[in-house]
This record gives sequence, C-alpha cells and structure tokens, in this order.
Amino acid sequence: MKNEKSVQPAPGVELLSGSLTDASIQQATGNSPDFAILPWVNVVKIGGQSIMDRGRSAVFPLVKEIVDNLGRHKMILGTGAGTRARHIYSLAIDLGLPTGVLTVLGTAVAWQNAQMLHYLLAQYGIPFIEPEGFSTLPHYLMERGAVVCQGMPPYKLWEPNPPVGRIPPQRTDTGCFLVAEVFGARKMIYVKDEDGLYTADPKKNPSSEYIPRISVEELLARDLEDLIVERAVLEFMTRARNIREIQFVNGLKPGQLTAALNGEAVGTIIYRNGDAQ
Amino acid sequence: MSDHSNSQHVTSSLMRESLVDKNVIARTEASVSAILPDVNVIQIGGHSIMDRGRSALLPLLDEIVANQAEHRMIIGVGAGVRSRHIFSVGLDLGLPTGALAALSAKDSAQNAYMVSCLLAKHGFVYLEAPFVVQLLPAMLAAARGAVFNGIPPYALWEHPPLVGKLPPHGSDAGSYLVGEVFGVRSVILLKDVDGIYTADPKIDPAAEFIPEAKAQELIDRKLRTLPIEPVVLDLLTRAKLAHSVRVINGLKPGNLTRALKGESVGTLIKQ
Repeated sequence: MKNEKSVQPAPGVELLSGSLTDASIQQATGNSPDFAILPWVNVVKIGGQSIMDRGRSAVFPLVKEIVDNLGRHKMILGTGAGTRARHIYSLAIDLGLPTGVLTVLGTAVAWQNAQMLHYLLAQYGIPFIEPEGFSTLPHYLMERGAVVCQGMPPYKLWEPNPPVGRIPPQRTDTGCFLVAEVFGARKMIYVKDEDGLYTADPKKNPSSEYIPRISVEELLARDLEDLIVERAVLEFMTRARNIREIQFVNGLKPGQLTAALNGEAVGTIIYRNGDAQ
Repeated sequence: MSDHSNSQHVTSSLMRESLVDKNVIARTEASVSAILPDVNVIQIGGHSIMDRGRSALLPLLDEIVANQAEHRMIIGVGAGVRSRHIFSVGLDLGLPTGALAALSAKDSAQNAYMVSCLLAKHGFVYLEAPFVVQLLPAMLAAARGAVFNGIPPYALWEHPPLVGKLPPHGSDAGSYLVGEVFGVRSVILLKDVDGIYTADPKIDPAAEFIPEAKAQELIDRKLRTLPIEPVVLDLLTRAKLAHSVRVINGLKPGNLTRALKGESVGTLIKQ
C-alpha cells in the first residue's frame, strides 16, 4: 500500500534554515511518506517507430483494444516519436545544433503522433492534454477513462546533454515513466513491436534468448549494446519511490495490452530488486 | 532491434536505427555551434540573495545595469525560503518529487518577476520558458536584457533524486542549462559565499577556499555541502559549449564586474 509506507515526519525546521545540498537533510527527506496521486491509473506508451509509423495495420487494432478496455482500466496514453524524429535529429546534428534544440524538435514529432492517436480516439470523448494542462487529467480520467499526451518530458532547451553524442537522453520512454512515477500509477506498460527483451537482436542473431523477467539491476549490469528502453528509465527506476516494475508488450499481437492491463505476465517485466514477487 | 519493413520511413542517417544502441549514439558525436556566443548568464541565488531583500539585491542590480553597455546578460533567478517551506509542507503530505518541483518553480518565477520589474526601466523583459524557447534571440535584439525563471521547466517530469525526495534540478542547474544550450560566453552564479570551500565556512572556520577545480574533482571529493546544486557538476562533465561555471559572492560589490571581465574571482569550476 503506497500510502501507508509513512514512518517519520518530514524534516521541517532544518529545511527552512539549512543548506538544501547538505547530505543529512537530503537523507531526511527520504524518510517522508509517499502519497500516490492517481493510484488507479495505467500509463501506456505507444511506440513511435514500432507502432505509429506502421500506420493503419498496427494502429487500428490497438485503438480498438484501447477502446475495449475503457470501462475497465483508466489509461494515460503517451506517444513516441519515430522516423521523423530520426530524420530531424540527423539533420539538426549535421547543422551543429545542441541537444536542447534537438529536444524541442523531437517533442514536435511525439506531439504529431499524439494528435493522430487523439483524432482516432476523439469520438470516445478522449482528449489530448499538453503538459501545461495536466491538472485536468483526473477529471478526464474519471469521466472518459483515458487521455492522450505526447510522451516527451517538457524539458525543451533544458534537456541535459547525453554522456556520448547528441541525441536527447530523456525521450518518450522516460517522459511516460516519470508521469507514472509522479502520479504513483498502477502500471507502466510500453507497447512496442517486439515480444519483449532479448539478449541480442533476435532478427540478426538466431541464438539470442528471450528474457521474460529481469531485475533492473541485473539488466544494467549486463551493459547491453542495445536495449528495449531508454537507459534513463532504468537509471530512474533504481531510485523511483512508486514504480516498482515496468512491462513491455507486443502491440502487434492483439490481446497483449489487455493482458498486461489485467495484471498478467505477458511480454517482459523489468522489476526492481527486493520488490520481486 | 526490430524489423520495420511494414513501417513508412523517412530517409536519414538514423533511419530504422535504435536510438538506444550505443554504436548509433556514438555516431552522433559531432561539433556543436553556439547560438548566442556573446551572452552571459547571471544567476541570482534565491536563499542567498533574494531572501535578503533590498540591501542585497539593489546594489547587485545597479552593478548589472552598470555592466549593461559592455556585456549582454540574461538573468536567471532562484527560489529561496518559500520553496523550502512548501517542500516541508509537501513532504509532510507525501507529495512526490515532481509535484515538489512544479510547486517550487512558482517561487522562483515570483522572484524572477520581481527582478524583471526592478530592471524594467533599463529595458529588461521577463520571459517564461516557452518564450525563452521562441523569443529569446529576438528579445535580446530588441530589449537590453532578459530575466528568466532559473528553475528548469521539468515540473512533474523532474528526475527522481539519488537521495531523498527534493528536486535535484533547481535554479543553478536551470541557469547552467540555458547557458549550455545557447553556448554563452559565461555562466556566473551569484551566492552569499565567496565560492566553494572544503566545508561550509558559515559553520566550520577551518574550511579551505577552492579558487579553481574541475567538476569531476569536486564530485570525487564528495563534499558534504556545496553552495551550488551538485547536479551542476554532473552537467558540466558533459558540456559541449559552456565549459565552466563561476561561483561568486554577489553580496560583495565589484565581484560581478570582475567576473564579467573574466578576472579570477570566486571559484571557477571547469569541465
């Protein structure tokens, strides 16, 4: 029970006078309770390159599955960017533009995909919500059961540089994860075009093994060349206070999203050590 | 990782690539151009300067105006004691880090707005984050300077911190990131101490002053307290354009002028 983890009172007086960078004050803030803002909501990220770029054949069945779940599960639907983001990232890198500018540009692509998903869901009363309008989320979720938002975090020019290269390190996987974490969501589900995580690319390497469950610590320790999710998600997961596991399902296979929403172990689950069932 | 043969693609060097693949990421290493190379980012501390009111702030603003003819400046402003109060209440209520970040950004917005009012007659404008994105270069061409909210617009999307629940990106980080993305001439953080010491000089008289250090060295020293947000050190290690940050005492007249001239004052933290 997320809301009953409370143990000690928050550090009041020290916070007002002491240095916020003081290690002991920071430590003390960790002892404060965690209140889950929307404990019943599911955050569902719809992949950009993996789903949206495929057009009707991939998107329409998924939209139907979302609609079928409307009465049963409340969903925040975030979208990824995809091939147009890859185009503008490579163009902007060629032009010498910094990471923060790439984030502004990439956000527009995730926004386009969110708009398209929103058009397809509009007849069910599902709105598109900008980050600035997030305070209206609870109302729409209660009334209509879902909202659409673009998956990028609203960092814009303030996106930190990656350790290597120029591509914004915190993109739509991360933005959706942080939404789930801040609201204390019930589930964080990534809808992509793969059954889950493999030890290597199964299409290039036939000996690659499927990984149905893995701890985030072990996954980070393996230091794989490629991953199913942005590295920032794994890093933030190790220190998240609400989200204990994330799930990856194949959106091209009907029923997988529904199964995940129902709590079934489909696809791959990445969990935090110590939280394993 | 996937076969995207059903997808419609736009031709580019990243087409069909996994943006998580380390080799793909490494290929995106290339030179970056500075967008506003002659601008200086000046960060006015919230707790250290703003909360002290007139006696601390007005001489500083006079010094900013006195330097206006020679140096183009954009001014970030921090939050201060009101954020500490709302952190305390919010933590007690169990609110998550992202909610605390959204709340705190309003405190620095208030401070930034007050600074912009005080500098208005000298042609400074206040720019909210969307206007920094769209209008900063135009505003600098038309106006004499700009004031912005030092806290970055991360709000609900603030990163979970390594320790505790306080938002890691405050106004030092936000101001630095503005400096980095625009490739500015200098980033100067104004505080109420002379720079970085081995310990808090207000508490420990044996604390030693550090006039210059690399960000990684300061990270490795694991100092118990710093006059700036520790995340700025991490950001500096990944700098492409803003390769240093200067931390100076904004309560001492002349320090800002010297820092703008590039003189050795306060602590210079280098990449």
